[in-house]
Amino acid sequence: MSLGLYISVPFCRTKCTYCNFRSDVFSRAVFERYVERVAADINRGGKTAEQMGGVLEFSADSIFVGGGTPTILDINQLERLFVTISQKFAVERGAEITVECAPGTMSPAMIEALQRCGVNRVSLGVQSFVDIEAASVGRLHQRATVVEDIAHLRAAGIENINTDLIAGLPHQTAESWDFSIAEVVATGVPHVSVYMLEVDDDSRLGRELTAGGTRYHAHFVPDDELTADFYETACERLESAGVCQYEISNFARPGQESRHNLKYWTRLPYLGFGIDAHSMLPCAAKRGEAVRFSSPDLLEEYVAGAPPKKIPVSTQAALEETFFLGLRLNHGVDLEKVSAEFGESATESHSGTISECVEAGLLERDGDVIRLTPRGRLLSNEVFERFLTAERIG
Amino acid sequence: MDAAFLRNFAIIAHIDHGKSTLADRLLELTGALTAREMQAQVLDSMDLERERGITIKAHAVRMMYTAQDGHIYQLNLIDTPGHVDFSYEVSRSLASCEGALLVVDASQGVEAQTLANAYLAINNRLEIIPVINKIDLPSADVERTKEMIEGAVGLDASDAVLISAKTGHGVPDVLEAIVKRVPPPKGNPDNRLQALIFDSWFDPYRGVIVLTRVFEGTIRKGQKIRLMWNGRVLEVETLGVLTPKPVEVDELRAGEVGFLMANSKTVADTKIGDTITDEAQPAIEPLPGFEEIKPMVFAGLYTVDAHEHTQLREALEKLRLNDSSFFFEPESSVALGFGFRCGFLGLLHMEIIQERLEREFNLELITTAPGVRYKITKTDGELIEVDNPSRWPNPSEIAKVEEPVILATILTNEEYVGGILKLVEDKRGKQKTFEYVSSSRVMLHYELPLNEIVLDFYDRLKSVSRGYASLDYHLADYWESPMVKLDILVAGEPVDALSIIVHRDFAYERGKALVSKMRELIPRQMFEVAIQASIGAKIIARETVSAIRKNVIAKCYGGDISRKRKLLEKQKEGKRRMKRIGRVDIPQEAFLAVLKVGEDS
Repeated sequence: MSLGLYISVPFCRTKCTYCNFRSDVFSRAVFERYVERVAADINRGGKTAEQMGGVLEFSADSIFVGGGTPTILDINQLERLFVTISQKFAVERGAEITVECAPGTMSPAMIEALQRCGVNRVSLGVQSFVDIEAASVGRLHQRATVVEDIAHLRAAGIENINTDLIAGLPHQTAESWDFSIAEVVATGVPHVSVYMLEVDDDSRLGRELTAGGTRYHAHFVPDDELTADFYETACERLESAGVCQYEISNFARPGQESRHNLKYWTRLPYLGFGIDAHSMLPCAAKRGEAVRFSSPDLLEEYVAGAPPKKIPVSTQAALEETFFLGLRLNHGVDLEKVSAEFGESATESHSGTISECVEAGLLERDGDVIRLTPRGRLLSNEVFERFLTAERIG
Repeated sequence: MDAAFLRNFAIIAHIDHGKSTLADRLLELTGALTAREMQAQVLDSMDLERERGITIKAHAVRMMYTAQDGHIYQLNLIDTPGHVDFSYEVSRSLASCEGALLVVDASQGVEAQTLANAYLAINNRLEIIPVINKIDLPSADVERTKEMIEGAVGLDASDAVLISAKTGHGVPDVLEAIVKRVPPPKGNPDNRLQALIFDSWFDPYRGVIVLTRVFEGTIRKGQKIRLMWNGRVLEVETLGVLTPKPVEVDELRAGEVGFLMANSKTVADTKIGDTITDEAQPAIEPLPGFEEIKPMVFAGLYTVDAHEHTQLREALEKLRLNDSSFFFEPESSVALGFGFRCGFLGLLHMEIIQERLEREFNLELITTAPGVRYKITKTDGELIEVDNPSRWPNPSEIAKVEEPVILATILTNEEYVGGILKLVEDKRGKQKTFEYVSSSRVMLHYELPLNEIVLDFYDRLKSVSRGYASLDYHLADYWESPMVKLDILVAGEPVDALSIIVHRDFAYERGKALVSKMRELIPRQMFEVAIQASIGAKIIARETVSAIRKNVIAKCYGGDISRKRKLLEKQKEGKRRMKRIGRVDIPQEAFLAVLKVGEDS
């Protein structure tokens, strides 16, 4: 099975207030050491996979360089990462190769470099086309920058572009959200991700929303009702513009769904490099058994060479993943296939949960396929939770 | 030892006024323990006691002291619980003494509990030696403290012993004062045996251990004894004294204090206040003062995890081995499942039992709102007692409700009187007395319904007085009052565990406050949830928890599935810890809110 490869670049020019990832602002002096370490990691990929007990094939059909802001690296550093990959893995012809970019960080030289590296897809962290919204969370770009960047990418032949939008940003209103959606449709990009602001203690804005305060504009964050409305609006508008929802937060013109992201939801193998990079590889055994492992999420630890953390996925856990990941996709989960992989009784064991959710209007059933209803999508955690029965992973 | 050289004494003090520190000093000075041997505050040996700085169980320690007159005296320090909930135990401990040290913090002055215990000591005709502690503090005011002792307790404080238990200053004078001022015990070792049980507890390895004071006669090892109230006959297997290490002796003679073990397996047999006598030659009469202690405060105890019900029962049984004053019986609640209705001596007692269950037995508990026992006369003339809201009769069957009323003594500083008066008036209190015990210290006596005390009175008293008020009370009376049962309905279903009994005039306010608190605490569900308060069929308040619209993890960074899974597990675990009533998940805090809601009203 072809691999998806992921490289994390945790560096940013500024830290956005909603960001709950390990990305941060570091001195450029760190970049070189980091790239060095990632390259070593890539070279050691086969060994790591073996130590973790996963089955690894050395051919890849997707590469995703995410962040942070990968384009903050020097061009030669970025190139070094791609060269190392191509030395170690057979990158298939037609592989999807994505780099996440912050608008305004793509000099002509950078775009050229990306192309040299084989990059054929760019994901732009736009978040909002309304300048005051973007500025209020610490984004450094303006709407005009985004439009220019898209034009430059296209001119260079990179048509496969994703733009990220966040529903629930401070200052967002129904009107401003409509504006962002209209803008994204107007750009004609074939892929859009719509996220909803996550409120947790891992981001400054999230903490402020919980604890109260005004420094990060938490008092201008629309409430849950409104954010849910925004999300629904986005689903409708994008759909009618031909950018159809295929996953809870992903929308694409038919055929332009992200191959790399689909691997996450369909439990296809992927291997990650860099800090807090996650991997999933099947085990030699039967029935969905797999191993997940992740590298340290602290830069010093990672650079110092701390080993990855391993989480085995039992058959039972794999079955649960099949549901709670697969149901994220609009095409849903085919129970026939679940039975084929895990056995008839495995599907049976969840039949009570399924009919309960169907009755509650959270799931719909179409022959052997179950999928979330639009209401179920907004309440998907309530649905997914019910599919968990396995021992806790801690 | 000749009884002339015996002294039995107790220490009466408010929390933090230095009782335990003083006791430690006395042990050190008499050589009972060297400083190095001594773990700080030897007497409070239960973890809970040390943490809270209170004494729950009584102790008795024998010290040998060579006085300035050259004689060696045997001093028995009988340590007593200091809290109002345990006033019966205190009274029995005090009854075992001829004298008491009244320890008062020189910067804080006399507090209500000190006062109550001092009165108990006076009633037991004890010689009381005022001891003013913490005189080394900059804020110490010895003269004012003396004034207060004279004004509030009515004792001559001119010869009070001035000490700092912390530095040891003046502590030798305390020992001399005990020898000189506390009378030796009376009683004849040859008379028929009369010994008072002033404490007993269950030790899993040795069975029941009884602390006793011999008034008449002599207890000997191997003797067959009879418990005069209880009727049981036991054989004395072990006899000893605490130094504080246990040391076995062959006999305890009139005037002496010690412990005994007599193959008993339950403290219910050896009740505090019972009289031990000789089986063959019994005393004519038991010693006075025995009472069956009755619980005053009642609440339901449930485990968060229904599977732990059996463990809860076992834990309660074990605790009861050690504490015959608390009572429990099975009850079941629609909302909370199977649990136990428990009766406690008071709120502190309840808290202690709860904490011990949680700590020593690792149980997670939900406690329903504490209540009191009402006397209800039904329309058909039947008289019943009800301490559980779920047994409250239909309003149409009630002719008359009588509620227990306490007489509260509150001591405070002048500046807080206004706030306190408002509080006690709000709590339906009736003033009995109002007097200045010193130029700035006020003593209030109020009659208050116990029902109002158990809810949140302590906390509110503390807050209106910034901690500068102390409270003591005892059951005094019953009032006829229009009490009603207030029910809380969630999504139309009454949640029995949230029902409370309130005065009719407070029902509306309380109901409103409760439903609004519930609205904050009940998380949004996938459908709209109505929360209502009702009296009988009449809805008096309503709030709505609107349906949840979104609960979704939109982003999934770099294939981190484990994080997602953990979030889902956490969510599931959160729900598991809630109680499901009908279709609605109710968090534990909602059940606790009933206890707190008075604060908002």
